[in-house]
Amino acid sequence: MDSPKALNSLSSAAGENVMDTGSTQETVASEAAPRIPLDIRDHGSVGDAYETIGTPLVENAKMSARKVNVYYGDKQAITDVSLDIGRNEVIAMIGPSGCGKSTFLRTLNRMNDIIPICRVEGEFSLDGEDIYGSGQDTVLLRARVGMVFQKPNPFPKSIYENVAYGPRIHGLAHNRAEMDEIVENSLRRASLFEEVKDSLDKPGTGLSGGQQQRLCIARAIAVSPEVILMDEPCSALDPIATARIEELIDELKENYTIAIVTHSMQQAARVSQRTAYFHLGKLIEVGETKQIFTMPRHELTENYITGRFG
Amino acid sequence: MENNTKIGEHTSQRYNAELEALRERVLTMGGVVERQCQLALESLVKGNAELASQVAGGDYEVNDLEVKICDQCTDILARRQPAAGDLRMIVAIIRMVANLERIGDEASKIGRKARKLADAPDRHAYIAEPLHLGKEVSEMLRGALDAFARLDVQSAIEIIARDPEIDREFKSLNRLLISHIMEQPQRVKNMLRINSCARALERIGDHAVNLCEEVVYLVRGADVRHLSVEEIKQRYQPRA
Repeated sequence: MDSPKALNSLSSAAGENVMDTGSTQETVASEAAPRIPLDIRDHGSVGDAYETIGTPLVENAKMSARKVNVYYGDKQAITDVSLDIGRNEVIAMIGPSGCGKSTFLRTLNRMNDIIPICRVEGEFSLDGEDIYGSGQDTVLLRARVGMVFQKPNPFPKSIYENVAYGPRIHGLAHNRAEMDEIVENSLRRASLFEEVKDSLDKPGTGLSGGQQQRLCIARAIAVSPEVILMDEPCSALDPIATARIEELIDELKENYTIAIVTHSMQQAARVSQRTAYFHLGKLIEVGETKQIFTMPRHELTENYITGRFG
Repeated sequence: MENNTKIGEHTSQRYNAELEALRERVLTMGGVVERQCQLALESLVKGNAELASQVAGGDYEVNDLEVKICDQCTDILARRQPAAGDLRMIVAIIRMVANLERIGDEASKIGRKARKLADAPDRHAYIAEPLHLGKEVSEMLRGALDAFARLDVQSAIEIIARDPEIDREFKSLNRLLISHIMEQPQRVKNMLRINSCARALERIGDHAVNLCEEVVYLVRGADVRHLSVEEIKQRYQPRA
């Protein structure tokens, strides 16, 4: 809060990454792709009026989204989605490219605000507080609702500075010793400290991909967020680095609420407690992860997770 | 979603082919087991020692199929990571082949007893008793395999519901054999052999029920192995 200008540069740096890795390309791709006929068998109705199957809403939700519609220009990316993110749970969002899962994830910390043609409708709350309210500081919001992106995007600074950047601009440390502690704790919680403790002054970009992603997670948790949004955090990583991130997700859920978008269904099955299946901008089914992967109730969910879309 | 366990339509054609081949092999194994049971009964009824020997030593084909099918299942689990209906199919098949293999064992057992009984001079006096039980059990087995082939929960539940009747018949057959033994103690050895056959048939009925429970699991995703027939009917019978 000390220097809002610097904060804006943080969010816009992140924003560029958003543009790079997903949303615009995804929208274009979905326009080009042939439309899969939406057969909502359990309800018999097709089109805009639909109902999510399963349990999209939970008691004691950390974040709530109600009747969300998102448009990129004329194109509607998300249609009437209502979903709760439960406290201290990992919720996985899955679905084919262009289904709106990443777009939905980004509405949760207003990352879509920086896309000029993007229009968001609906009600969003964090601990019951409206996050799209006129008084809401998006910078503060993004400190409470942190984000980890598909491609590791460390700042071109030292490992130490990568982690210290957020706490510094939020004024979380009053002296060097406190900052050292925050940096060390964050790196420890991201299970990276042991590997980098002797090279904290080396550039973050010199780390391996998996280490860079853990550095980004350390950077995200350094500002003590309440919710961490992860958009395909392991798509650029090898299986061992992926396993470490997944292990980390499991540990982090003790203290944080995590929403993860992933194209790997096995990953969704491994890390999450609830799974939400999106299809063509609609939230088709939400349920306990075990149920979704053994006995999904909607045919579209079944088709997707068994690999039946052509 | 009543019947969501379709094999085809995967993006990967090879995956379709693998699942289809697996399913066909299970049906083949079912056919072999069914034939073993029929031959076992026939050898018992006709007193055909040669046929009985053939059945007694004829479970190698079933054992071989069991090993091959389990290997195919392991392969698909390792390489495809099946989910939802596909996963239930694999899990159900792994459990089904174990039951089919045991049915094969029971048929061999009947063959062994039938070989001993073939020379008994008075065999016509008591051979009719297990015949009725054998017919009923064979029907259940055929019905179970049909229910699997057609993923027919309704038929599967109907077969599960027949099991108490089989148990009652087995018990009354036992009582009958006991009274025979008391009347003619010199026949005790053969009576015990008949009892073994009846026990084997009753077990085949139980295994057929297990097969049907897997069909319910496969289609409805619910483990009904330790529910009563009434509970299964109430919860999982398709509504007309």
